[in-house]
Amino acid sequence: MVNVTLSPLYRADGSATFTSNGYSVIAAVNGPIEVQRRDELPEEAAIDVAIRPAAGVGGVRERHLESIIQNTLRHVILVSAHPRTLIQITLQIVASQDDSLYPGNLPQAASNVPVLPALLQASILALLSASIPLSMTLTATLISVKENGGVAPSPSAQDLEAATSIHVLAFSSHGDLLVVESEGYFTMDTWEKVYAKARLICHGEKEEDSESEDLSMDTEEVTKLEDILKDAVRQKVAAEYRWKQSPDSAAT
Amino acid sequence: MPREAEPSINERAFVLQALEENIRLDGRALDAFRDIDISFGDDYGVADVQLGKTRVLTRISASIVAPYPDRKFDGVFVIITELSPLASPAFEVGRQSDLETHLSRILETTLRRSQAISTESLCLVAGQKVWSLRADIHILSHCGNLVTAASLATLAALRQYRIPDTSIKGGELTVYTPLERDPIPLALLHHPLCITLNYFENGEKMIVDATLQEQQCSEGEVVVAANPQGEVCLVQKGGGGEVDALVLLRAVDMAVGKVRELGKLVDRALEKDSKMRDKGGISAELSAENER
Repeated sequence: MVNVTLSPLYRADGSATFTSNGYSVIAAVNGPIEVQRRDELPEEAAIDVAIRPAAGVGGVRERHLESIIQNTLRHVILVSAHPRTLIQITLQIVASQDDSLYPGNLPQAASNVPVLPALLQASILALLSASIPLSMTLTATLISVKENGGVAPSPSAQDLEAATSIHVLAFSSHGDLLVVESEGYFTMDTWEKVYAKARLICHGEKEEDSESEDLSMDTEEVTKLEDILKDAVRQKVAAEYRWKQSPDSAAT
Repeated sequence: MPREAEPSINERAFVLQALEENIRLDGRALDAFRDIDISFGDDYGVADVQLGKTRVLTRISASIVAPYPDRKFDGVFVIITELSPLASPAFEVGRQSDLETHLSRILETTLRRSQAISTESLCLVAGQKVWSLRADIHILSHCGNLVTAASLATLAALRQYRIPDTSIKGGELTVYTPLERDPIPLALLHHPLCITLNYFENGEKMIVDATLQEQQCSEGEVVVAANPQGEVCLVQKGGGGEVDALVLLRAVDMAVGKVRELGKLVDRALEKDSKMRDKGGISAELSAENER
């Protein structure tokens, strides 16, 4: 269901596509490049994030998402390694779930956050593809809470409409929480449940002291997002280093 | 922002000398295209065209708006091209470059002014409600010949797009979702495409589908838009160099031949796509389109 391609574009320094749960994003990273005087930072690289919607021009929603991503990536990228330069991240939304919901309207999402995990994920993959030094990678997921209090990972457009609250959580590769964006009405208990579920999806292992009795109810095997990313990078590296393999080791 | 790197003097001389001997650096014939791949998205009206390393994605969307007061019976059709750093680090966010203006003007003339799409068919309630059709052209990778790639992607997307079905009862307009009624294809009157020819040696030598490097070394370009029926919609010459009138006529002839070639390619891609969507072979029954 999650589909990752590394370096699909030829001209950008690094690029990636990330498709998951009806959202598809192409990200391109250029950097470190020359920075405009007014954006220049004396001791670190400036990070510029631009989001381009699938149809129409970007508005307040895009600016808001850009600021969330920019603030997250500022801590993920080792900005001090490239002072007085610019790392430019461009995110093109190719498809999103809410396109088909409202015929006769421009596909403009009602809510801000559902596309955020795909944007974060695509940008981190593009950064990896551009070989920008990072302090860690991150994984992000979308979770909706149903009216009966049930937690639903990767919700559909209808689920999102019916949900009482939706949450986006991103975890670093060390398992720390990096981003939380929540919308709707919820209690702290619900949030704890959402947190445990998201951590399971992104990072795999549960926290020791979490009360995850209701989580063990659904024993479906979740593939860790982290593993999916790792696999994508591993395959890319293997393909690029094929020339290094001796012919007999390739045969085995 | 970095500028687009110009080819060095040596590179330029190499390209030009090779062309003098009728050789292109990628081994193509002078009138051959790079590999073309046309694919469609899951939704209607999304076409992704790869022309060698150039890649363009067009997305068609429709919304209901009030028409312009002086054109009460005409729907709205807009083409938006925006170059972003995805395509090349030389493009800036939010600043219109010359290339962008050039591209959108050519597509505008080719598709809109040639009446390829009849705007009257987009009218719902005269003077009150019309469809506003929007083609967002996303240039993903800029490796030469953007014009042909963008026109291919836009035409393919327009031909594949299905607009929601509507009905009017007692002055009230109902728009149906795809679940209620199958959406209908757009009324396209003809299918124009653009071909770019770059000229060398005082316009004596023309090459089709130049790469970025060839484009940068060329003296100028001639854009010809035509439909597979051989009707020319636009001829534009840019770049400054002189071109003999007879050479230009020959170029137009050649371009029309190429348009037919590409038109067939789009036909084939559309056929393949409709076969894939038509699971179980029931789409003919579901269609709300009138027999003509």
